[in-house]
Amino acid sequence: MSETTDIAIEYRDVTKAYGEKTVLSHFDLRVQKGEFLTIVGSSGCGKTTALKMVNRLIEPTSGDVLVGGRNVRDVDAIELRRSIGYAIQGSVLFPHMTVEENVSYVPNLLNRRDRARTERAVSKWMDIVGLPQDMLDRYPAELSGGQQQRVGIARALAASPDTLLMDEPFGAVDEITRGQLQTEIARIHRECGITIMFVTHDIGEALRLGTRVLVLDAGRIQQYGTPQEILARPATEFVERLVARQRHACDLSDERLCACEHSGAARAEAALLAQGADKGE
Amino acid sequence: MLVQMLDLLATRRDFFLGLLLEHVQISLVSIAIAIVVGGIAGILISEFQRAAKPTLAVVNFLYTIPSISMLGFLIPFSGVGDATAVIALTIYALLPMVRATHTGITNVEPAILEAARGMGGTRMQTLLRVRLPLALPVIMSGIRNMVVMTIALAGIASFIGAGGLGVAIYRGITTNNAAMTMAGSLLIAVLALVVDFVLGFVEKRMGMRSKAAKRTNCRLAVGALVACGVAAACAVVPGMVAAAPATINVATKPMTEQYIMGNMLKDLIEQDTNLKVKVTQGVGGGTSNIEPAMESGDFDLYPEYTGTGWAMVLKKGGTYSEDEFGQLKAGYRKKGLSWVGMYGFGNTYGIAVRSDVAKRYGIKTYSDLAKVADRLKLGAEADFFERADGYDALCKAYGMRFGSTMQLDIGLKYDALEQGSVDALIIFTTDGKLSHASATVLKDDKGFFPSYECGNVVRTKVLEQHPELRAVLKKLDGTITESDMARMNYQVEEKGKDPEDVAREYLRAKGLLK
Repeated sequence: MSETTDIAIEYRDVTKAYGEKTVLSHFDLRVQKGEFLTIVGSSGCGKTTALKMVNRLIEPTSGDVLVGGRNVRDVDAIELRRSIGYAIQGSVLFPHMTVEENVSYVPNLLNRRDRARTERAVSKWMDIVGLPQDMLDRYPAELSGGQQQRVGIARALAASPDTLLMDEPFGAVDEITRGQLQTEIARIHRECGITIMFVTHDIGEALRLGTRVLVLDAGRIQQYGTPQEILARPATEFVERLVARQRHACDLSDERLCACEHSGAARAEAALLAQGADKGE
Repeated sequence: MLVQMLDLLATRRDFFLGLLLEHVQISLVSIAIAIVVGGIAGILISEFQRAAKPTLAVVNFLYTIPSISMLGFLIPFSGVGDATAVIALTIYALLPMVRATHTGITNVEPAILEAARGMGGTRMQTLLRVRLPLALPVIMSGIRNMVVMTIALAGIASFIGAGGLGVAIYRGITTNNAAMTMAGSLLIAVLALVVDFVLGFVEKRMGMRSKAAKRTNCRLAVGALVACGVAAACAVVPGMVAAAPATINVATKPMTEQYIMGNMLKDLIEQDTNLKVKVTQGVGGGTSNIEPAMESGDFDLYPEYTGTGWAMVLKKGGTYSEDEFGQLKAGYRKKGLSWVGMYGFGNTYGIAVRSDVAKRYGIKTYSDLAKVADRLKLGAEADFFERADGYDALCKAYGMRFGSTMQLDIGLKYDALEQGSVDALIIFTTDGKLSHASATVLKDDKGFFPSYECGNVVRTKVLEQHPELRAVLKKLDGTITESDMARMNYQVEEKGKDPEDVAREYLRAKGLLK
């Protein structure tokens, strides 16, 4: 009994097909409460489909999805969605609303009367995602890409959901901003203890953020485990190829990096030296 | 011409101001209905996409119906007057409104809609909070187009007896007063531009999103609402407070002499009785639109011609002569209408040929004309080609066939003859321009055309309710001869006098008006 209450999200033999094309077949998965699950795979592998079944944006062809122990079919879709945070690629803020109106969108759908409570929630989440309060009156078009992502996260979390679904949320920002946002979302997960399902096509991001990583290919689970398990013991050839680069990455300090003959830095240094020697002769 | 027009605008300021107000009223009511109905339809077909194609097809179809025939269709259902005009204008305004709303709503980015859905917005919440606000710029530009179009189109409303600046245009055309036509057109254009400017300002303000701008917008909106409320109250309340006396609704056909008679009727009735007279001048289509409105009670009184009543209203065959007046009256009685007050002149059909043509072929009589008709082009009004005693009967009686025919508005036919667009014209014996046109009136040697004596057709019920009216109409018996009428027509059409003044002068000279 205690075991089932620890499960936040569960898939039981879920299949999704569009006509002839099966995007997800016999999918079984249990996500523990408080887990940061990253789902990784190439595009079309079914990762977004799996994610959208949690808040019933997509209904399975067969099988069941359970959220908090309840079959989502038995829950009103609108109520279900309001209890689950949702952030998608490019954050897609509502362009005609201020930051404040965007963040308070779901709280306003839930409790129209209690404005003070909504204001407190907005202000709290602005702090948590690291945005200054004076940004509340601005419109999305006036924000940088990174700021927009932060507002998108604040909006998804504003109604304090237990579960947060994220569909490639950082896909459209530059490398440096993405690093910052990854740090932020990891911190938010630690501080709030919510369950996060995070879809990405970047294995680096999946390994860095996930407490658990799910690797999908062609609608089938390739491996499900901790980042360490994925890295140390790739279960299939597909996973092995996927994590090859990460397996070969090394954390040597700068001085030692050049001393190690297998590092990219040492090879480049050796090449430069060889060129210099050619010219010297 | 410009000077004449400005002069006219200045001297008849109240007349034009009244028309302008009517124009604004008719347009605004149509626009308001179209925004609500079209907006709702646009929203519904965006929510239920399957209905979009058939709905747009229907609205498209309605839009392509020529405005004149649309008004014609509507008259049997809603009569003549403002209501029909509003219905027609609303129908035309629907297309741009429905289409703009549909386009605006369906073009909202799908990702934004998915976000709204994924966060748990209901269909209604997503529509009101996301789709509609994002569609607003497109809808607003649709409204701007629609408003300008409606104001311009409202100009034709006078064709079916509605008010508005079209009255000035139509009256200008029928009485050969170009300055009046221009003044009416100019005012419509100015009105459309001003309203478009105001809407452009509203659109700009709506695009401004800073807090200060929003506060100003609120104030402006409240101010505009209060101003509209006050204006509406000013327009409506005095009419409600003043005890309205019984009103006689007089209609006239779009002919100069009818304008003059309309004014005579108004002056005389209002002088001799406590009744108020509302004259709807120049109802387009003449008898075919006025007569049904008489039967339905929209109009109470109008000057008609015996021969027209015989053929078009009673739909009797044969050439009408005044011996059959008793039969005519009996036929009308069954429809609840009476003939009271015969003016004393007949406005009978005739054929006139341009003088040079008459000379070249030596045409003096209809029989002469019949021999060369196949080389000539005949111009006449639309109803002449329709009526039982019209074109076909004429051709049959004289065994003639014209080379071609042209449908001409009554106010333009002498110009057409002068310019050589037609060689022969169906004319009326009281046409003012006839005396000054280089045209030869031919002899009806076989007595084809029926008699068209002018008299008043009144609803019998109105005569019973207001017996004093009969006495006034009786006074008009035999007061105007054909040459009197032609001269009055000439004064209006060629000398640029107002029908009001010409009517008044004549009644004074006859001692009927103090």
